[in-house]
Amino acid sequence: MTDDEAAGTSGEAEAAGLLDHLGRLRRDARSARHAYWFPLMLFSLLTLAAVPFYVPPNIPERSAGVEQIPGSSVPLLSGSPGYLVRNYLGNYWLVALFGGVALTLLWYRRHARRVGLRTPSRAYVITVGVLTGLAVILPLLAQIPGLGFLLMPLPGDLTIRGTVAFLIIAAGLCVLAWAERSIGLAVIAAIYTGTALLASLYDIENVPGRLGWNVSPGVPNVLVPAMVLLIAGAIAFVGQRRQRSAA
Amino acid sequence: MSAADEHPTNGLDETVHQRHRLGILTITAEAESADFGYLRDALGLTPGNLSRHLTVLEDAGLIQVMKGYEGRRPRTWVQITGDGRSALADELAALTELLRRHGASA
Repeated sequence: MTDDEAAGTSGEAEAAGLLDHLGRLRRDARSARHAYWFPLMLFSLLTLAAVPFYVPPNIPERSAGVEQIPGSSVPLLSGSPGYLVRNYLGNYWLVALFGGVALTLLWYRRHARRVGLRTPSRAYVITVGVLTGLAVILPLLAQIPGLGFLLMPLPGDLTIRGTVAFLIIAAGLCVLAWAERSIGLAVIAAIYTGTALLASLYDIENVPGRLGWNVSPGVPNVLVPAMVLLIAGAIAFVGQRRQRSAA
Repeated sequence: MSAADEHPTNGLDETVHQRHRLGILTITAEAESADFGYLRDALGLTPGNLSRHLTVLEDAGLIQVMKGYEGRRPRTWVQITGDGRSALADELAALTELLRRHGASA
């Protein structure tokens, strides 16, 4: 082996060793930053807490009250009007979405102080904040003559069941997966987005109904997305705890 | 000599091409910012040694060092700059190219 060949081989080994070392540092930093179990659990609990708003009152009450019920002040987040309790759903989601984002932000700050790595959370806050803001503002703007087209990109099928909040949560999770650089969260966000779209476009109670189970209309459309978040959050919690105790 | 023929080691920057400084840039590129304590533990450096590397990188405009307090406890956070990201990407590209060339000539 000539001197040049020997130098080349040692340079190659050094480069390979260095790239390997940097890859390990990158993986460790990424793993230490992962803390997404909290927003998954939080939004699953906030969704479960919304279940009473989706339960329709008994039929006489419903049919008697339809004419007198005013529209919701937050129609995109409330869904189709028809009974009084549904009108408060929009207000509930307004508080829950902004509150959920604020708590998630505080959680990531606390996690950064503990592990020593900050996760960029600005894009997540902006995404959920802007989408929630648009859900409030667009119906108001659309009432101005000539601006009715603003609601055209949102077909009624997507908003009628009061599940727009799930789509906002899904968008937030997609951005969080990018911020955390987590493939695991990206998979969860994709599954949740699919579930949120299903809950927005289809009456899920039809499935147990066909099997002979009597379930309250509207409730399965809330329970299924909530369970996806709850199960994913529990798995992420266990996984992230194990990773930290192994490190 | 064309750029394609140029040896990849010519693309290595003396400031960046140092194991620990590359480590600092790699970790800070993974997060919004990294704490001094995390960098010290992850790289296995003494505080004095890490400070020296941080000063070199900060003087080159590759990182920003932000000192502050959390309660009464002083904390130092390190953030990579745009130039730091470019320098890291160039360095990784040069190292990968070096490996590729040796792999091809072997």
